[in-house]
Amino acid sequence: MKIEWRTILGASLFLGIICAIYWFWSTEDTGTALLLFGFAAYLMLGGYLLLQWKRRHGIPRSEDKEDATYAETAGEHLGFFPAASIWPAGMGLGGIFVGVAMIFGNWYWVIALPLILGSVIGWSVESEAPEDVPDEVEAARRQDTNIDPADIADTDAPAHP
Amino acid sequence: MTIIQDRPGPQPGAPHGTLVEEPLTEFVPGPRPRGWVKFITSTDHKQIGLNYMVTAFIGFLTAGLMAEGMRTQLIAPNNHFVTPDIYDQLLTMHGTIMLFVFLGPFAFGLANYIVPLQIGAPDMAFPRFNNLSYWLYLGGFIVMTGGFLTNNGAANFGWFGYAPLTNAIHAPGPGADMWLIGIALTGFSGIFTAVNTITTVFCLRAPGMVMFRMPIFVWNQLVTMFLVLLAFPVLTSALGLLWADRHLNTHFYEPGGGGQPILWQHLFWFFGHPEVYILALPYFGVVTEVIATMSKKPVFGYKGMIGATLSIGGLSMGVWAHHMYTTGAVLLPFFAALSLLIAVPTGIKFFNWIGTMWRGTITLNTAMLFTVGFLAMFLFGGITGVVLAQPPLDFQLHNTYFVVAHFHYVMFGGSVFAVFASIYYWFPKYTGRMLDERLGKLSFALLFIGFNLTFFPQHDLGLRGMSRRIAVYDSNLGYNFLNALSTTGAYITGIGVIPTLINIFKSMRTGAIAGDNPWDGQTLEWATSSPPPDHNFESLPPIRSERPLWDANHPDELTRVGH
Ligand code: HEM
Ligand SMILES: [Cu+2]
Repeated sequence: MKIEWRTILGASLFLGIICAIYWFWSTEDTGTALLLFGFAAYLMLGGYLLLQWKRRHGIPRSEDKEDATYAETAGEHLGFFPAASIWPAGMGLGGIFVGVAMIFGNWYWVIALPLILGSVIGWSVESEAPEDVPDEVEAARRQDTNIDPADIADTDAPAHP
Repeated sequence: MTIIQDRPGPQPGAPHGTLVEEPLTEFVPGPRPRGWVKFITSTDHKQIGLNYMVTAFIGFLTAGLMAEGMRTQLIAPNNHFVTPDIYDQLLTMHGTIMLFVFLGPFAFGLANYIVPLQIGAPDMAFPRFNNLSYWLYLGGFIVMTGGFLTNNGAANFGWFGYAPLTNAIHAPGPGADMWLIGIALTGFSGIFTAVNTITTVFCLRAPGMVMFRMPIFVWNQLVTMFLVLLAFPVLTSALGLLWADRHLNTHFYEPGGGGQPILWQHLFWFFGHPEVYILALPYFGVVTEVIATMSKKPVFGYKGMIGATLSIGGLSMGVWAHHMYTTGAVLLPFFAALSLLIAVPTGIKFFNWIGTMWRGTITLNTAMLFTVGFLAMFLFGGITGVVLAQPPLDFQLHNTYFVVAHFHYVMFGGSVFAVFASIYYWFPKYTGRMLDERLGKLSFALLFIGFNLTFFPQHDLGLRGMSRRIAVYDSNLGYNFLNALSTTGAYITGIGVIPTLINIFKSMRTGAIAGDNPWDGQTLEWATSSPPPDHNFESLPPIRSERPLWDANHPDELTRVGH
C-alpha cells in the first residue's frame, strides 16, 4: 500500500509544482486549469489510498510483504468473479445507441434507455444473487473494512524502501 | 457464478510445475459458454484480451489499406487516383483508426491478457466492466468508420480535428459527428480499462508480489493507465464541447460568439501528448520482457527502469504545447525545456535495454528481431523528436513531411514493431502452439525494409518543403522521385504483413505444441498451462524476486535481490 500511495501522491505533487511554475510564468488559463485538474485528480486518488493504509495502521497486506506465504492467505476473500454475463453487452449496446442518438436524433433514446435501464437492473440483481455468496464470504466481506491489528500482530515484515 | 475463496499456491510436497491434483482455487462452477455466446458474454480477462487484440488488428489492416490508397495517390505528381476530398477522409480516418482503434486498444488487450497472469491474479478486478469496455470500444470503431457510408463521407479534418474546421459550416453532415462520438466511445472504454487495470494491480497481486517485484511490463501498463485516467476525460470533455457547438449553438470554439479556436488545441493536446506515451509505454514494457527472456538475464537496472517510466509519464503531462509552437501563443521555453528533458529518461531506458542484453545468451528469434528493430527505429524517431522539440527548428519543419516521418518512426517502427514482437512472444501462451519462425523472419525482413523505404525519404521531402495533408503536388518541385520511392516502400510494407497473417492462421491449427514455458521465461505467465485455465493458476511458485519462475526453475542461478 505504501508504494502505491506514495507514487500517486508524488505524481500529484509534481503536477502541482509544474502548475505553479506554469501559471506564474505564462499566466495562461487553459493549461493552468488542466494541470490543476491533474493535481487534484491524483491527490484524490492518492489521498484515498493513504487513508486506506492509515486505516490498516500501516500493516502490510500479503501482497506487500516480501516474505509472504500462500498459506497465510488461505480462505481470504478475493472478490466476485462471474464466469459470464449478458448485462455488460446490453449496457454497451445501450451506450452505443446513446451515441447514435447524439448523432442522428433523439429518437434513438427509445432504444438506448430500455437497454441501459434493463441492463443496470439485471446487472445488480446478478451481483446480489444470494445463493451465490456463501455465508463465510459474506461475513468476511463485512469485517473487511475495519481490521483489528491484533489479528495480524505477528507480522514483522521489513519496512519498504 | 464464481467466487474465489483461496488464492492458488504450491501444494505442499508437489514440486512446482506438476499440476496439483485438486485445484486449490475453490470456486462454484458456473456455466461455461462457448462460441458466439462466449464471445459476447465471457468475463474472462483472457477472452476479452484476445477480443481486443483481434479487433485492434482488424483496425490496423483497415487503416493500413487506407494508407495504401493515400500512397497510391501520391505515387506521381498531379495524380488522380482519389479526389482531394476522399484523400482528406482517408487521411483522417487512417490516423484516427491507427491511434484510437489499433495501437491503444491493442495495448489494452495486452494489459487484459498479460497483467493478471504476470502478477498471479485470477482475473481482472471488475470482470463485467471489462466486458462492457470491449463493447464500447467495438461500437466506437463501427460508428467512426461508418462515416464513409454517409452522403458527405467520413470526417476530413485530420486526426486532431482543429477548430474551426470541425464546426457545422465546414464539416456539415453526420461524418464529423460519427468521428466525434466514435472517439468518445473508445475513450470511455479506455477509462474503464484503466480503472480496471489499476485496481487489479493494486489489489489482486499474489502474496509476495510486492510492487518492486512486478515485471516491468506491469509497471509500464500501470503508468500508462494513470496517463489514460488524466488524458481521456479531458478529450471527452473537449469532444462534448465540440458536440455542443455543433448541435446546441454554443460558441466554445467559435470566435464569432466569444469563443476561442485555440482552446480546442490546448484541450486536445493536453490529451494528445500523453496519448502518444499511452501508445508507447506499454510497448516499452513488451520489449523489456522480450529482451530479458531472450537474453536469459534479469532486467538490468530494474528500479532505474521504473523510475524512468514514472518520469516519462510525469513529464509527458507538461509538454502538450510543443504541438502548438507555431501558434505564437504558447510559452516556448517552458515547453521546449520539458520536451527535451524527456530524452533523459528515454535514454536511460535504452542503456538499460542494452545492459540487459550485455553478455546475455541471446536467442535471435522473430520476437527478438522485431524487438531489435524497435530499438533502432524508435531511437531514430526519438532523435527527430528532439529536433522538432526545438522551436527554431519546428518553425521550419512544422506541418511538413518531416513530421510525418518522425511520428511514423515512433509509432510504426517503434510501437507496431513491438506489437509484432508481442504476437510472436505470447502467441504460444494464447494458443498453446508456436508460430513458424521462417514466416516470421520473412515478415520481419519485408516490414523492416518496406518501412524504412517508405518513411526515410519523407524526412528529405519535409526538408524540401513538402507539406503534409496534400493530395496533389506539382512535378517541378523536386518531390517526384522520393514520393515514388516512398510508395514503393508502402507496398512492400503492406506485403510484409501477409506472412504474419498466414502464420497466425496456419499455426493456430498446426503449429508445434508450445508447452507451458517455451522460452524458459522468468515471469508468472509462463508458470501456467498454455492457454491458461479458468482463473489462471493451478499452482504458483513462491515469489521472492522479480522473476519468480526463473528462480523456481534455476535454483542454482537465483536472482540477486536488492540490486
Ligand atoms: C503501411 C504503413 C503506413 C503507411 C504507408 C502510412 C501512410 C500515411 C500517409 C500517406 C499519411 C498522410 C500523410 C499526409 O498526407 O499528411 C499518414 C498519416 C498518418 N499516419 Fe500513417 N501510414 C502507415 C502506418 C501508420 C501507423 C502504424 C500509424 C500509427 C499507429 C500511423 C499513424 C498516422 C497518423 C496519426 C497520421 C496523421 C493523420 C493526420 O494528419 O491527421 N500510420 N500515414
Ligand atoms: Cu507531443
